[in-house]
Amino acid sequence: MSTDRPMRPGSPDRTERFVRGLYRLLRRAYPRSFRDDFGRDMDETFADQWRAARARGEWSMARLAIVTMTDTIAEATRARMTSLPAPSDMLHLQDVRYAFRLLARSPFFTLLTLVVLAGGMGVTVFTFSFLYTAMLRPIPLSGGERIVRLQAVEDGSVRSFDAADFARMRPQIATLSDVGLWNSRDVVMGSAEGGGARRVLETTAVEWTLFDATRTPPALGRAFRPDDEAPGAAPVIVLSHRTWILAFGGDSTVVGRRVLLNGVSTEVVGVMPPGYGFPVAADSWVPLGSAVREATEPGRYAVSAFGRLADGATREQASQELETLLRRARSDRPPVAADSSGTRLGVLVRSFPMAQMGDEGPYVFGLLNLMAVLILLLACVNVANLLLARANERSRELAVRLALGASRARLAMQALWEPVALVTIGGGLATALAAWGLGVVNRWAQQHMEGNLAFWWVWGMDTPTIIAAGGFMTVTIAALGGVMAVRATSTRFHEVLRDSGTRAGGRGAGRAARALVVTQVATVTVLLFFGVLSGIAAHRFANMNPGYDTTRLLASSVEPEAARYATTDARRALWTRLYDGMSAWPEVEHVVVRARLGEGDDESGALEFGDGRTLAAGATPRAWVQGVLGSLEALGIATLEGRPLTPGDRAGQAGVALVSRAAAQRYWPGKSPVGERVRLPGTGETGEDTWRTIVGVVDDVMYGDEFSRDRSAVAVYVPLTQHDAEWVTLLFRHRGDAAAAQAALHTTVTTVDPQLVPSRVSTYDEILEKSALIARSVSRLFAICFAFALLLAVSGTYGLMARSIGMRTREIGVRRALGASDRSIQQLLLGQGGRQLGIGAVVALPLMVLVGLAFARFFPIAPWLALSTGVGVSLAIVAVVLAATWIPTRRALAVAPRDALFRE
Amino acid sequence: MRRVRRPRQECETCVRGARSPRMSSTPEGAATGAPLRPVEFEILLALAQGERHGYAIIREVEERSEGAIRLETGTLYRALHRLVQGGIVTPIERRATDESDDERRRYYALTPQGRLVAAAEAARLARLVAAAQAAQLIPWPVIP
Repeated sequence: MSTDRPMRPGSPDRTERFVRGLYRLLRRAYPRSFRDDFGRDMDETFADQWRAARARGEWSMARLAIVTMTDTIAEATRARMTSLPAPSDMLHLQDVRYAFRLLARSPFFTLLTLVVLAGGMGVTVFTFSFLYTAMLRPIPLSGGERIVRLQAVEDGSVRSFDAADFARMRPQIATLSDVGLWNSRDVVMGSAEGGGARRVLETTAVEWTLFDATRTPPALGRAFRPDDEAPGAAPVIVLSHRTWILAFGGDSTVVGRRVLLNGVSTEVVGVMPPGYGFPVAADSWVPLGSAVREATEPGRYAVSAFGRLADGATREQASQELETLLRRARSDRPPVAADSSGTRLGVLVRSFPMAQMGDEGPYVFGLLNLMAVLILLLACVNVANLLLARANERSRELAVRLALGASRARLAMQALWEPVALVTIGGGLATALAAWGLGVVNRWAQQHMEGNLAFWWVWGMDTPTIIAAGGFMTVTIAALGGVMAVRATSTRFHEVLRDSGTRAGGRGAGRAARALVVTQVATVTVLLFFGVLSGIAAHRFANMNPGYDTTRLLASSVEPEAARYATTDARRALWTRLYDGMSAWPEVEHVVVRARLGEGDDESGALEFGDGRTLAAGATPRAWVQGVLGSLEALGIATLEGRPLTPGDRAGQAGVALVSRAAAQRYWPGKSPVGERVRLPGTGETGEDTWRTIVGVVDDVMYGDEFSRDRSAVAVYVPLTQHDAEWVTLLFRHRGDAAAAQAALHTTVTTVDPQLVPSRVSTYDEILEKSALIARSVSRLFAICFAFALLLAVSGTYGLMARSIGMRTREIGVRRALGASDRSIQQLLLGQGGRQLGIGAVVALPLMVLVGLAFARFFPIAPWLALSTGVGVSLAIVAVVLAATWIPTRRALAVAPRDALFRE
Repeated sequence: MRRVRRPRQECETCVRGARSPRMSSTPEGAATGAPLRPVEFEILLALAQGERHGYAIIREVEERSEGAIRLETGTLYRALHRLVQGGIVTPIERRATDESDDERRRYYALTPQGRLVAAAEAARLARLVAAAQAAQLIPWPVIP
């Protein structure tokens, strides 16, 4: 019959050999008994099908290959599942008791394994929970997962909204409900009765509907009302629970009391419940004012915005809608100086935690969790090595049981209970360890990050953490249990009994040992690479150089009431009086009055060049803009070219500016910028553009957040008397008596204006410490985790290599008995160790590249430094592995051949 | 004649709590009236006409169904495994497909019990067809 004759075989071509080889590989997924019975038949049938398909063409071959591979995987899986014993056979309490007895008989082994597992899983659970709380958990408000922060993006920079633009957009927004605006600033709260301690509060000016929008009414008193926002309304304030406790001792009669906010008498109308700090870390709330909410004049007010996603709306839909509305609002009005001159306009709609972490947040989350999982993998490899060593010791027992008729499935189940018990107990300890660590972090953050702590940053054991712990335990049980089950079921009992148990595991065990070594090497290499990079970052944070001399430098902010200093001239006169007053004190060596003049969240400003130059691709040149009254050289910022700013650079004179060296190199490469002209849109005496002549170049100072890619030294300095600022920072260097200098400050301010209150005086070192607090603390935290990983790595690598070589003691004895020299054996073992090292390095390399690129996203690192770190780590691993191979090799060679032959 | 390999038997009495015998798959159940899986009946139909090797079974099923049923290798041999375990099909010796071919394939054949099972399944399907015709789901055959 023609139908049952297979195609006459021609010579199989390369494709056929490859596909049939792949098929044979996939066929190994079937149970062994099935493969023994039908494996050859399946190969032959597939070969017949392939030849028939080849006659029909390439498409038939491709279809056959894909369908057959898919069918093989599916059917092999089904075959595996049906080969399992019935559930009633899988649980034997005696196996559980036996596992616990075995563990109790080896207390040192059990303790060591529990420590490793608890440490590895504890680090993983802690890292996941820490990062989840920081970045992913919805804010703890009713429907918090749908409350989003809205941010404008212009030419790649995140900025606040223009209040007038948002007022035009607002009536047409369909994807959001409960939209609100806010502004935040520091205010000084003092007692209305006079005396008493003053307190600086992070105060948020909000719309009267805020507490309804966030579904959180005050715990005491009332929320804001519409008339609180009306022009001329009596000032009112709502306190946070924390402020109420710290400033008023939890006094229940606080509602109705009056306080001074920046010298203005204000009534306390409410207190919010504990844990509420919307939008980020508010200590108190005041009305925004209808003038801002209903602004019509563009360029006057900059605001932040939030909203609640409407039913069925997604963030992407909201982002597209708001971008369209923003473009329309911009095009419907003439441009103002505060507008970016670029054309790339967008709106980000993100959760508050993600908006707080910035663009680098997802990379930090992914990278640190990956490192934590690698630590867990390292722990699993170490524990697997310990368990396999024990299994080798029990190989004769397993062989006897197999010979007596125990099914392999039953042995596999028995072998599972040991790792299950260890991981369950270790997981419980790990969860307790993680809970303790999270509690410590939470208490530390509450104590040290006052004013910097987002209200959703509350770390502790919660449902996602418990679920994560369960997930990590399950994966660990699956990994370790799988290793032990395979080990138990692959015992060839006849070989073990025949050799009286002198074979330590056989070929399969040797392969498993080598696989563990490769996994260990790869994991350790990646972890150490990241650990070293983190150490470099931690070192930089600890030794951050602001670029100027902070010795004996104090700082305090002054923000006058807008109503009493309503004009530019009034504010400039105030700054000048403050400067002159402070300079007169003998206790004060130097004074500089400084204001940050950039707009938006990044506080940078756009530049225009007098020669009409534009940058490539329509990009807007930007720089950190600082208004200065006083000498920059007093801060240790040297003048490198031209001249510094002088008292003669004041209002009414020709506009001047200084640029930093970085700005000169970027925008005037190869030539001096002195004499060139720049304009700073939105700056100047009247808020309109004015051309300024660059009179000098100064040394670099880094501006921007440590985690920000906008961090740079590209800066422009303008005289504060040729500019307008709503608040300033007084930087003053004392001569050795800080208290006297502080007293001088308060006296000066009170003399200039009795109603003016400076903020708390800080040393500049405290300011730097606070600004890098999070980054430094996270770096230290993970340095501890990597120290644990390093301990596991060194001990585990030695243990793995020692066991791998120890298993070959008999083989070494045979080789020496047959005449092999010690040198040749050393070369053999070191060569094999080197091969495992090489494979591990090849596996680690792409991961190291990935880690390096992700790390560079949030911590700019020079490529040469990353490369040299990678090379250094690799060399260190080579040294560790070779040493871990050399030492057991010497020990094996110290055994006499006759003794080695009979070694078990 | 070469000895045919049988599936390995585990020792049922060697461990406490001996495994309870799992309910057999449908090949045995067919003798009691439980239906066969469609793929198994297709294989039995192919073998009813004589011994076949694996590829021949696939081709015959595909031709009889006019391309509607394409047995993949995994599906075929898992079904054969069940049928062999149920004693409905038996593997026989490897032999060349024709005199000029050096390649040998293992052939499969229906056992006497298998022939009974196939007949019972065919009768069951015939009763179903009759019921469908009576319900006018499908037309009665036209007698020329």
